[in-house]
Amino acid sequence: MSSDAPAITRDEALDLLYLEARLLDDGRLAEWLELFTEDCVYWVPNVVEDAAREPSIIYDTRTRMDERVHRLTQTAAHAQSPPSRTQHTVCNVEVLAADTPGEATVLCHLVIFEQRPGDDWQVGLGAPRWFAGRCEYRLRVRDRTWKIALKKVNLLDRDLPQYNLTFVI
Amino acid sequence: MRPPADLVVETDATFRVHASLYTDPALFDAEMDRIFGSAWVYLCHESELPNPGDYRTSVIGRQPVIVSRDQDGEVHVLFNRCMHRGAVVCRADRGHSNYFRCQYHNWVYDSRGALQGMAQPSGYPDDFDRSGLSLVKPPRVGTYRGLIFASLAEDGESLQERLDDVRGYIDAWCDRSPLGRVTLPRGNHRYSYPGNWKLQLENGVDGYHGNYVHESFSQILERSGERRRSDVTRARNEVGGVNSAKGLSHGDGLLERGSGMLGTIDFSQFAGYRERLAQAHGADRVDDILTQRNVLVWPNLFLFESHIRVVRPVSVNETTVDNHPTMLQGAPDEVNTARLREHERFFGPASFGATDDLEIFVHVQTGVQASSAQWLDMSRGMHREEQRDGEIVGHSTDETPQRSMYRAWRRAMARTNREAVA
Ligand code: FES
Ligand SMILES: [Fe+2]
Repeated sequence: MSSDAPAITRDEALDLLYLEARLLDDGRLAEWLELFTEDCVYWVPNVVEDAAREPSIIYDTRTRMDERVHRLTQTAAHAQSPPSRTQHTVCNVEVLAADTPGEATVLCHLVIFEQRPGDDWQVGLGAPRWFAGRCEYRLRVRDRTWKIALKKVNLLDRDLPQYNLTFVI
Repeated sequence: MRPPADLVVETDATFRVHASLYTDPALFDAEMDRIFGSAWVYLCHESELPNPGDYRTSVIGRQPVIVSRDQDGEVHVLFNRCMHRGAVVCRADRGHSNYFRCQYHNWVYDSRGALQGMAQPSGYPDDFDRSGLSLVKPPRVGTYRGLIFASLAEDGESLQERLDDVRGYIDAWCDRSPLGRVTLPRGNHRYSYPGNWKLQLENGVDGYHGNYVHESFSQILERSGERRRSDVTRARNEVGGVNSAKGLSHGDGLLERGSGMLGTIDFSQFAGYRERLAQAHGADRVDDILTQRNVLVWPNLFLFESHIRVVRPVSVNETTVDNHPTMLQGAPDEVNTARLREHERFFGPASFGATDDLEIFVHVQTGVQASSAQWLDMSRGMHREEQRDGEIVGHSTDETPQRSMYRAWRRAMARTNREAVA
């Protein structure tokens, strides 16, 4: 990274987070993947953040993210049939001062409202649910564009029993 | 509630389970009394309380307990219920403490459950009888290879006797660790679903659904080049070789398939792992140890390739499941880390596998509301299963383990039927 690489502006950070939320809510998952670097990690930790010795709810490398998107878009995944409607809501955004040019750390809160349509009389369908988390994004400039190298979401209820987290968080 | 003995009906060729087993709250209450009130129930793993003073909470059926390790290292199971006026004495799910202090009026108990003191003791005469005021304990507690169980029955088979028929499979599972020691990391994959607890039990040893419920996962494996779909389908359908479903005594059962036959990663291929196993346990045992098994230890424990699964019934249509990954002590680090990743990939709450099973449990829970259709059929394979060395052995897609489970259900539920119905 050249030393004249820019620091991220708050507007750029917000635009990226809002774009991500919109792509997820519109089900444009292939485009969502393009927001990430090739060596990225999409991480939803369990109680301890130590991927080598502890389980995570999600610890996806780019390969696993590709798989996740393939599963959601190309396969008959029962847990997403019918698929979740989501509304990713981003707030409390903080852009932290960067030590390294061309890199940035952004913190935010995430609230997801989720609902699965279908025969709403049936168990598991109809009722809206919400999910809350605190996010950390590590961003990097690639080809003059800010890309996500790490998306980490610490869910509020990460140590509680979860039911169907098969949509993208 | 109909008499439970009439709700599991078996002939030479057919095996049927009544739909009310999934929907009737009175049956659920009876299950808590008669099944969880008598069986050896799994509580937690010794590695969750490694040091003196450590504790972990759990449940026996619906009754809250604390599993604690005292200063001498001995494990105690205590009902989490103050002997004064009934409050819990511990609110954390785990921790370290030499005593449990009730927050209501400050009565204090030690890690063995003995009452240590009451606040403002002058309110009681000096000769006040404190003998019945220690925390109550289940009558029997037992441990096998790190697995801690308790039974609410005063007498009956010891844990060792109860585990006789399934012991070899538990041993093989533990010996996947070259040191013979499996431990649990702090993190735990937990999920809850709006369905009956027995749906998880049936499914955990069900080899019939894989090609359909997990088609999505098979497609992922094909895409990644790990397994061809046609091979997975064939492996599941194949007759012969290590590909069976077994029914054991006590309601236990298992699904058994050769190492790496269906799973994504054949862990035996990791450098040095097979060698360490051979060195520790003998070369002749390695294939058996690495055989892929889902073992059900009735009524609430599974041993899976990568994890311990604990089924916690909450109500007739609510269940919580802990899929607690396991670490194999003495195995190469890469094996343990790869097992964690595979676990997240197939079994976690955001995974590509178990989440589809849960969705199906919910399909059943909704379907059985149509109570005019009364029965569920579990006859598959009755014509071809065989008795072998005290086990009933069927093809991996047969409902052999489910039948063994429901025979145990009927035995336990019928046992105190007369008293309970009266
Ligand atoms: S209820 Fe526990 S001290 Fe009163
Ligand atoms: Fe399954």
